[in-house]
Amino acid sequence: MKLINRTTSHGHAEAFAAKVRIGIDVGGTFTDFIVFDVKTGELQRLKISSTPKNPSKAILDGLRLILRRLSPESIEFIVHASTIGSNLFLGQLGLRMPKTALITTKGFRDVLEIGRQRRPELYNVFFMKPKPLVPRRLRLVLNERIGPDGRVIVPLQEGEVHSIVKLLRSEKVESIAICLLHSYVNPVHERKAAEIIRKSYPEAYVVASHEVDPEYREYERTSTTVVNAVLMPILTRYTLELEEGMRRLGVKPRLLMMLSSGGVVSSRRVIKVPAATIESGPAAGVIAAAYLAKLKGFIRVLSFDMGGTTAKVCAITHGRPILTSEFEVGGRTHRGRLIRGSGYVVRYPHIDLAEVSAGGGTIAWVDEAGRLRVGPYSAGADPGPACYGRGGLEPTVTDANLVLGRISTVLAGGEIVLRPELAMKAIREGICKETGLDPIEAAYGIIKLANTEMARAMRIVTVERGLDPRRFTIIAFGGAGPMHVCELAEDLKVDSIIVPLAPGTFSALGLLLADYKYDLKLCLLKPLSKLDSEEVESLFRSLEDEGREALLSEGISEDRMVFIRYADLRYHKQAYELMIEVPSPLTSIDILRHRFIEKHKEVYGYAVDEEITLVNLRISAIGVMEKPKLRSSPGIERRPAEAKDYREVYFGEIHDWLKTPVYERNALKPGHLVEGPAVIEEYDSTTVIPPDWQCVVDEYSNLLLRKSR
Amino acid sequence: MVDPITVEVVRCCLEYTAEEMGIALRNAAYSPNIKERMDHSCAIFDAEGRLLAQAEHIPVHLGSMAWAIKKILEHLRSRGAELQPNDVIAVNDPFLAGTHLNDIIMIKPVFNEGNVVAYVANRAHHVDVGGMVPGSISAHAVEVHQEGLIIPPIKIVEDGVFKDDVLRMWLRNVRAPEVVVGDIRAQVAACHVGEKRLRELMERYNVEQLLEIFNEILRHSEKLTRLSIKKLPDFNVEATDYLEAVEGEDVIIKVSMRKQEDEVFIDFTGSSPQVSAPLNAPMGITIAATSFVLKTILDPDLVINDGFYRPVHIIAPEGSVVNAKWPAAVGASIETAQRIVDVLYMALSKVIPKRVPAAACGSMNNILIGGVDPESGKAWVFYETVAGGYGGRHGLDGVDAVHCNMTNTMNTPIEVIEGELPLLFTRYEIRPGSGGAGKWRGGMGVIRSFRILAGRALVTIVGERVKRRPWGLCGGLPGEAAKYYVVRKDGSIVHLGSKGSVVVHEGDEVVVETAGGGGYGDPLERNPEAVLQDYLNGLIAAEDAVNIYGVVIKEQRIDYEETMKLRSKKRALSKS
Repeated sequence: MKLINRTTSHGHAEAFAAKVRIGIDVGGTFTDFIVFDVKTGELQRLKISSTPKNPSKAILDGLRLILRRLSPESIEFIVHASTIGSNLFLGQLGLRMPKTALITTKGFRDVLEIGRQRRPELYNVFFMKPKPLVPRRLRLVLNERIGPDGRVIVPLQEGEVHSIVKLLRSEKVESIAICLLHSYVNPVHERKAAEIIRKSYPEAYVVASHEVDPEYREYERTSTTVVNAVLMPILTRYTLELEEGMRRLGVKPRLLMMLSSGGVVSSRRVIKVPAATIESGPAAGVIAAAYLAKLKGFIRVLSFDMGGTTAKVCAITHGRPILTSEFEVGGRTHRGRLIRGSGYVVRYPHIDLAEVSAGGGTIAWVDEAGRLRVGPYSAGADPGPACYGRGGLEPTVTDANLVLGRISTVLAGGEIVLRPELAMKAIREGICKETGLDPIEAAYGIIKLANTEMARAMRIVTVERGLDPRRFTIIAFGGAGPMHVCELAEDLKVDSIIVPLAPGTFSALGLLLADYKYDLKLCLLKPLSKLDSEEVESLFRSLEDEGREALLSEGISEDRMVFIRYADLRYHKQAYELMIEVPSPLTSIDILRHRFIEKHKEVYGYAVDEEITLVNLRISAIGVMEKPKLRSSPGIERRPAEAKDYREVYFGEIHDWLKTPVYERNALKPGHLVEGPAVIEEYDSTTVIPPDWQCVVDEYSNLLLRKSR
Repeated sequence: MVDPITVEVVRCCLEYTAEEMGIALRNAAYSPNIKERMDHSCAIFDAEGRLLAQAEHIPVHLGSMAWAIKKILEHLRSRGAELQPNDVIAVNDPFLAGTHLNDIIMIKPVFNEGNVVAYVANRAHHVDVGGMVPGSISAHAVEVHQEGLIIPPIKIVEDGVFKDDVLRMWLRNVRAPEVVVGDIRAQVAACHVGEKRLRELMERYNVEQLLEIFNEILRHSEKLTRLSIKKLPDFNVEATDYLEAVEGEDVIIKVSMRKQEDEVFIDFTGSSPQVSAPLNAPMGITIAATSFVLKTILDPDLVINDGFYRPVHIIAPEGSVVNAKWPAAVGASIETAQRIVDVLYMALSKVIPKRVPAAACGSMNNILIGGVDPESGKAWVFYETVAGGYGGRHGLDGVDAVHCNMTNTMNTPIEVIEGELPLLFTRYEIRPGSGGAGKWRGGMGVIRSFRILAGRALVTIVGERVKRRPWGLCGGLPGEAAKYYVVRKDGSIVHLGSKGSVVVHEGDEVVVETAGGGGYGDPLERNPEAVLQDYLNGLIAAEDAVNIYGVVIKEQRIDYEETMKLRSKKRALSKS
């Protein structure tokens, strides 16, 4: 472990004051820390190498460093995003899957394995379905049955549960998922079975489907329950270890974790619904972008996070990222879209991202017919791009950037020295030999193709959702985002960009900008015509009481609580619901009908006068957190910045090579103006500004880039 | 000369344009079939009707439009019909459009200074086009006229305006006009999106340059296809497989495949003449199934455009079950498509056995059930397809319980069906023992069954592989045949064969047991550990472990010594 960086938002280090919050983003290569002083508003950043085999090690090592200049008592809490869940399902890190059993209704033991009966790849003879998380012999059945109306058709026999427990014990099963048909209407059998197992087999982790995903559609509910069961032992051990480590450092073990939906909850809650945290890493960056968008008053922004292996894009409107209600853990994506059936379904709200294989380490190659291609393979962190000199021979996006003069040969304040001759060699041998392109053409081609792929991701999250990308502002971060963003923006006809300070740790900042969030739902599945507003109102109230209780137990006072109500409705004959927001209090059931019809017209283009079914009631119980106030300097005076250096940078066929000024980001202060062409370098990122673009440093030290007319 | 990077950028743009048209279509469509099952595809063609880029979501759409657009343009030319900017053509005539009547194609020309530069087109499955039954696809149709409204290539939009007369006549002929009108508008909207994106390309590059780029894209694709064909050894092989007829002789699907240098010739001569059942495949279906097989064995990432078809020659005699002509019924031709895939894999197994799978379940296992709710007096209908087993492959078992080859649609959740219809499901499980034994066994089929809770209903099955089991490869055994039957309340059983209808009453149980995939390789060579796992997972019986696989299992463990002895005894027996 080594300390790679220590910077403050204004370049000077001070001892921390009494109350600080820490955000920790554990990534594949680096673990990023953001330390926020609530009183002074000061932010400090720390980046250390991750310890993938034992992620808590890097966290505790980093904390130890931070505690050199900070008393342990001053830490209020730690918010944390982890990739442990997604890594488990991607089969990485050698994490062992806990032995998990599933108890289900007789006749339906294979629902988990059959899934939605689709194959994940259409044209591959050697396709496979993901291996079921519970092998068939540990999928056990109870001879019980509840009907769609909640009526008991075959009563549960407790004796059967006891004999199953015996078997589970002899198999040394660690965790047990219970999912019985129609338990979302009547959980009586599930509840009883769980109670018996918890009593007679207390060592095991037990989770019943009505506790974690009370909604109809048996496959999705079973899968969500099983993923929770698999993660429970792992997440429990992980958080206990982390809290124990914090205690040893004298830090009050208040640990919060980010959810895939972008909210945060305490670790106590997380170990009950661990599947809700799986995509917490990418969520953090989006939350940071959403916050910045609100702060700057931008209604439509695209969060653009380009790192070493992939680029992730999310559309944010009115400060709210777009959410989807389910996703697949361990699933693969193909050119920005999820391959359905390639992973394990989890039905929790999830930030709707498009991810494409375009990062600094993405490899360029030549196909059999002699055409240049970029991705989907990546040189990763090891060996990394050819220019890193760690044995990588294939040309990557970073190599192309280096050959074109876009990045400096010295990165990370001197930590990393890049070797242009190796980049050049890789491009010559990997691309030029077979295509006959000259190396500069080839390098620029690599950038163009990588940008085409990222533009595609941006179109997926905008055009395909009915949004016009030209009306958006891009917030570019991650190590490579600011390098590509301007040319990418030109492809999409976007003319406004923000590059925040310290783009490389911007995601970690998002951890401190999130609110507490409990998402609760109740499955009703009743015709709207048979419901009245009092009944629905009282059901909403009981959900809110549950949410209030949960927030109170997190120490959130009532004045910081916000409840948002939603309902899922559909026409009786339809297969999918639409979600609408519901006012509080609900005075008339017609409000639901009108809002549904409005939404239906918006989404489907028409509405009919047919029976409407109210499927779910949902609430988000939000505990508003006090946010770090990013420092601003009022009274900005516009003035040109001073370049620290000049170098030759290639800007395409028309501009060719241009003598380009290089600026130091730390030296740029609010009000500074930079005209393209320019390069702005900082510790963990480089911003490339082509001719025709203009940059001004705003009051928060963000770079605002605009295309000049 | 256009630089190769620009060609690649334009190729990606065209591909994405086709995808974006598909999204526009899906977003604007009304019917769940398009919105949720994505039963549609979009494509871009050059002025000669050559396919440049396509985005499809199910294989049955693959490449069929490449054939259709040329055919349709030829038809229009022969009638002297002139297309103008802002016209949109609609067509579903199976003998021009290439598939069944439910698939409507819409085409829009993109002009530049009075000349067509390209066509944008899409195909979408409409929920109803009239005909004998709701949904238009009837198991009992004997000619196409019973299957609904036939639309020859006509202008649905002329000079930017919907032709009201045409629209009114169309909608009067279908059962769900309020949904169909939405889908028609969505298809037209998708054409507009495609045209808009092409115009942007025409702004960025001039038309001459663009035409050169189109040529270059097709040449590149052709080159890749030829290269991957060339990698195969030369061959000349034949194979025959069958579709099960309700009465009379089974339907023959015969193919001879020849590969020479970098070209393939696929000839279906010898297949049965078209039949009086909806199993006849129009040419588009045959092309789709053939393209599917070629793509899977050549390279799953191969781009299907006109360049792909230059070294690929498909010959199917007109008037046969693989190139039906008027007045053949074509509604259920997807089952024929499944069998064309089987027969092509069978032929290829004689040359490249390591690259093709044993036969998959070979059917979509269609179930249709409808009745009248005695309480409300309301009619109800339900249609679904059930997965089966995929065939064993060299190095890999077949996949259990999955939709195979030409289809990939989702099941309907049991908790949804039970909430809406008077049905109570009794089983939804993998069907143990149904996968053909082999070194790499075939995938297991599915058992899906339900009981009728009230009143009476009519059940119709359109299935396959009841008599003729899915074949194994290289010593692998065939998969278990499909079974479709009704268990009466009194316990008696009524078998439905591969296709048939029967009236059921309250208390009767409908059971579908779909076929397993064929096995691959000698079962005696199967890894004993894999046999043990299948046994422990309840997928094969203890006696099959011994008798078929020669694996002796004692107390949940393999007795390796006994297993070796038994296996060599069995090998000696089979040699003698």
